[in-house]
Amino acid sequence: MSSIVGDPCLSCSQHRAQSLVRLGLSPDRWDYLVALAGNPNTGKSTVFNELTGLRQHTGNWPGKTVVRAEGAFGHEGQRVKVVDLPGTYSLQAGSMDEEVARDFVLFGRPDVTVVVVDATRLERNLNLVLQILEITDRVVVFLNLMDEARRHGIALDVPKLERELGIPVVPGVAREGIGVDDLLVAVNEVATGVRKTAPFQLDRYVDEIEDAIGDLVPVVEEVYPEVPNARWVALRLLNADEAVQEAVLSGELGQLSRDDSGEVHEPPIVSAREKLLSASVRLRWKLPSDFHDIVTQHTYDEAGKVAGRVQMHGIKKVGFTFDRKLDSLLTSPVFGFPLMLLILAVVFWLTIEGANVPSAMLATLLIDTVHPWLKGLSSLIGIWGWLDGLLLDGVYLATAWVVSVMLPPMAIFFPVFTLLEDFGYLPRVAFNLDSLFRAAGAHGKQALTMCMGFGCNAAGVVATRVIDSPRERLIAIITNNFSLCNGRWPTQILIATIFIGALAPANFGGLVSAASVVGIALLGIVMMFVASWLLSRTVLRGEATSFSLELPPYRPPRVLQTLYTSIIDRTLIVLWRAVIFAVPAGAVIWLMSNLTLSGESMAYHLVEWLNPIGLLLGLNGVILLAYVVAIPANEIVIPTVLMLTVLTGGLVGGAGPGVMFEADSLGATEALLRGGGWTLLTAVNLMLFSLLHNPCSTTIYTIYKETRSAKWTALATVLPLVMGVTVCFLVAQVWRIVAA
Amino acid sequence: MDTSEQSVESLAPLESGDLRLGDIPLQQTVELVNIDLPEDQAEPLLERGVLPGCQICPVRSSPSGDPIISVDGSLLALRRETADCLCVRLLTALQDVS
Ligand SMILES: Nc1nc2c(ncn2[C@@H]2O[C@H](COP(=O)(O)OP(=O)(O)OP(=O)(O)O)[C@@H](O)[C@H]2O)c(=O)[nH]1
Ligand SMILES: [Mg+2]
Repeated sequence: MSSIVGDPCLSCSQHRAQSLVRLGLSPDRWDYLVALAGNPNTGKSTVFNELTGLRQHTGNWPGKTVVRAEGAFGHEGQRVKVVDLPGTYSLQAGSMDEEVARDFVLFGRPDVTVVVVDATRLERNLNLVLQILEITDRVVVFLNLMDEARRHGIALDVPKLERELGIPVVPGVAREGIGVDDLLVAVNEVATGVRKTAPFQLDRYVDEIEDAIGDLVPVVEEVYPEVPNARWVALRLLNADEAVQEAVLSGELGQLSRDDSGEVHEPPIVSAREKLLSASVRLRWKLPSDFHDIVTQHTYDEAGKVAGRVQMHGIKKVGFTFDRKLDSLLTSPVFGFPLMLLILAVVFWLTIEGANVPSAMLATLLIDTVHPWLKGLSSLIGIWGWLDGLLLDGVYLATAWVVSVMLPPMAIFFPVFTLLEDFGYLPRVAFNLDSLFRAAGAHGKQALTMCMGFGCNAAGVVATRVIDSPRERLIAIITNNFSLCNGRWPTQILIATIFIGALAPANFGGLVSAASVVGIALLGIVMMFVASWLLSRTVLRGEATSFSLELPPYRPPRVLQTLYTSIIDRTLIVLWRAVIFAVPAGAVIWLMSNLTLSGESMAYHLVEWLNPIGLLLGLNGVILLAYVVAIPANEIVIPTVLMLTVLTGGLVGGAGPGVMFEADSLGATEALLRGGGWTLLTAVNLMLFSLLHNPCSTTIYTIYKETRSAKWTALATVLPLVMGVTVCFLVAQVWRIVAA
Repeated sequence: MDTSEQSVESLAPLESGDLRLGDIPLQQTVELVNIDLPEDQAEPLLERGVLPGCQICPVRSSPSGDPIISVDGSLLALRRETADCLCVRLLTALQDVS
């Protein structure tokens, strides 16, 4: 175990700065290419971030990374490109994220493949190492999580493991940057050929199998001369691996192995590809009947043996007592659900209470102070009236509104959520919710994608790649929009605070508003179950497939780093997106309100026209029009609603028509909305409609990219809208009957 | 090992038939004999370290009876149907016989 501590000077970041030059995003040219592979949740993205200085998202649950990320660093005067891959348990890819990883390891031709290994689960991790060693011998093992291994009383004989595997093995703690230096050296040595590896060879199979392989390899090499690992391809073909067969038949096998020069190999002619397949089918007859089991069992056995030889015995297993205790609460049949609700409520309460004051301050600054100042400036230099209106009253005010409403809650919600994620709570949520998802005919991992959707639905849709069954993945994609995304909370929070929190005594206002936002989020989850159930009974019929989900150990989150990355990355990126959409929306709103048709503005006509429909749904024309304007991004619904209310209600709010008035205080906003004819029903239905309507444009586009199907994209767009209209209509009717 | 004498006795009759992981009481460590599932469903389990010959211990279970098992130092949540397809045998009972 001494090896992980080593010379403290060598592993501190000061020292590393001398040899490692972080280059951030991927350069156009590089001297060699390094792939980061490994089982899920072993710290690949953490290593990637250490190397490149980038901030690829990490999280304490398997399946965080689902697409590959590229970056670069300089070391010893060489430019090195690094590729962070999704985690995979083996090279027999099941789900799409695993396929991404497998394809890159197989055909991406990395110069060095670094396998990041979880030192506390050596056997299972070595299985993947051995599989990768069948394909390439340029491999370095990074034995990560050595701190956890030590804490749990697991000791490993690193030099022995290195001898057993015949490749460099570097122990370390990626989170602290320990061992990263040694890793760089090892990678460099292997890449430049200074260090020759003598990788572990799996025992040969029985003669019948070896003969068949021997017959097939020359055919593979003849048809696909550029494929680097013909033996492996032959073995997979004999094993009737569907993905590899397909790659052979489509010519993709050669495409994937295109080298870095950018030159694309022409796929071999069709007859040659078919010849290869038929040769493999013919040879299969000569194989022993339990061939498949032999091959599968082979690596598992060897991995088990190697692990057994390097794990040092006699050390007391400390185990995971703390984890077990916590799990017995968080996944308890009795307390699991209430605790989940409580945590959700606390998160929202923190967000609502904490965001109040900074939101008001930002509004005072941006709207009350800066806006008049800008107006003054523009009249001073004498800008045309219409341009001044369009830019300052339309674009600037829309943007200022979005910033002051969205920035504070996001700057609180994202870090808190990320801390929970880093701690390892998400997979527990998935476990708690699984029985419900199964009853709905959906996949247990849908709970994970649902949680990602609370951040952003587009991200949630991409995260469904962890689901291996195509049917259940589609269900998860189509229903992700029922997760209340961050673009929609400002609406929820504001309306809840004004109309619902106000019903409670002042001291409890925050709690009551938080509770009602949690209620809406829960309703979204219920709707997700209902929609999943409907889909799996109709267009996506089928039974829930079996699944197994790893529950990682709880890990103390790195608070400062989390704060930093979640504010810089998530908050500012999401805010930027909102601003980008707010700019044109502000302009459109201003134009709509200032272009007139027979004496009244366009906006007035549209609102009048939509009003009957809106009232039928317990909403009003203003809200419906705002939702049309806000299709690009949900974030701008509230500013649009407020502005249109001022305009069509004939109330004096701002300086003129189309001006996003100065609703800097909640009281002013409330007075305005009530003046516009709003009731408690309008508020409740707005909250419901904000939950249940079509996804934003980014999400719709992402759904199309992930499904490649106009049909499913259309369904995902229309389904929540239909549900929203139905729910609002029913609520309005019942409400009116009860009230009358 | 936290197997108590008592739980072994209460399970003794089951031992002759084929015992499934779903029948094992919580906290009782058993050995996996084989996985009675089609290959494509068994594969993900094997990959996660659920291999014949390994020791498995169901540590918790959800209200609907889905177990969390501990295997090779990690926790794995399974669905009940899956647990019912894992044939296991008792470790302590074997020691008793010898
Ligand atoms: N204690 C400890 N935690 C670590 C170490 N390295 C990474 N982690 C934590 O392990 C978790 C997983 O890290 P990631 O880098 O996201 O893992 P990954 O391999 O990219 O995971 P996937 O993308 O899901 O395959 C995070 O919570 C990290 O903070 C380490 O050396 N020690
Ligand atoms: Mg990752």
